[in-house]
Amino acid sequence: MNCGYGEKLILYAYGEAEAGLKASVEAHLAGCAACRGELAALGKAGAWLSAYRAEPSPSAVAAVLLAARAARRGFSFGWREAVLSGALAAVLAGVFSFSSRSAGADLAWNSGLDSKLDSVEYSVYQAQSEMTAASADWDYRYSALEDESLNAGDNV
Amino acid sequence: MAELRSRGRADSGAPARILMNEETTDPELLSAFKNGDAEALGVLMERHKAALYGYLLRLTRSASASDDIFQEVFLKLVRNPSAYGEREKFKAWLFTVARNAAMDHFRRESSRAEVPLEGTGEKAGPADFAASPEPGPAEAAENKALGERIAAALDRLSPDQREIFYLRHYSELSFREIAELLSLPIGTVLARMSRAAALLRKILEDEGQ
Repeated sequence: MNCGYGEKLILYAYGEAEAGLKASVEAHLAGCAACRGELAALGKAGAWLSAYRAEPSPSAVAAVLLAARAARRGFSFGWREAVLSGALAAVLAGVFSFSSRSAGADLAWNSGLDSKLDSVEYSVYQAQSEMTAASADWDYRYSALEDESLNAGDNV
Repeated sequence: MAELRSRGRADSGAPARILMNEETTDPELLSAFKNGDAEALGVLMERHKAALYGYLLRLTRSASASDDIFQEVFLKLVRNPSAYGEREKFKAWLFTVARNAAMDHFRRESSRAEVPLEGTGEKAGPADFAASPEPGPAEAAENKALGERIAAALDRLSPDQREIFYLRHYSELSFREIAELLSLPIGTVLARMSRAAALLRKILEDEGQ
């Protein structure tokens, strides 16, 4: 189409032409079959798209809503919850400080856990000693064999 | 905002909820969501879901990809409600984010396999779109034939032309807003649309004979 109305026709077709342009396009349409055809084609294509409605799957919508509720629940932390949390934290801190003071600094030292750790440490120490003794014993026997072999050589 | 009333008690610590109706604007709903009212997002999603999903389905031609992108767009708002800067129309933001996500989808698809950038090749079929209202048998057959011609004509538009056509139809944004969304001069957008109209006329007239 080379009537020069192509882009003006688009603005007119979608209701974006101001009054002066609208009047001009309407006057042009009366004598331009190509523009009338384009207008009709745009109308048909638009009507066809509008006749069909598609929607996202319910699970997609539900997933977004679930996430929104979870996020906003975290966000809507009101002043009452803040005061309650503060009070709870203060009570817990008090309880901890009281129990620490009464138990004394040697609480961990005297606990069952500590004695069990001592026992494991002692077992490891014992195993190390036995290995060292066995090693020394083997060294000693090896030296004795060497001496015997040397003496036998001297006697030959 | 005179028609909106608070439903939450001011001293309750719970988010003050607004009475939402069709006159509640998008920015008001977003503001309510930012202030902790999760249902405001539901209303917003309900308002825009058909247009956004219809656009995505035409663009990607895949129901599962459209579902994923639809979710991605709204989850972006859930994670960061300030992502929408309120300087632009919410619908323009929505379609910009959706378009960018669709482009990312095409890039991912084309890196996985040789898929043309304008679509995954998996066409959205009649099952993906529900016709309304239900026509009679003769009218249905006529509509079907016309529909097939229109679908074929739209397929023959270039991806650039088709994108503008779908954006204008589904988003109802003005061509100036679409030009901003696509970072194109308005003249380019109108010229592409004009070429699309000429091509649609030619195809529909040729095939109608």
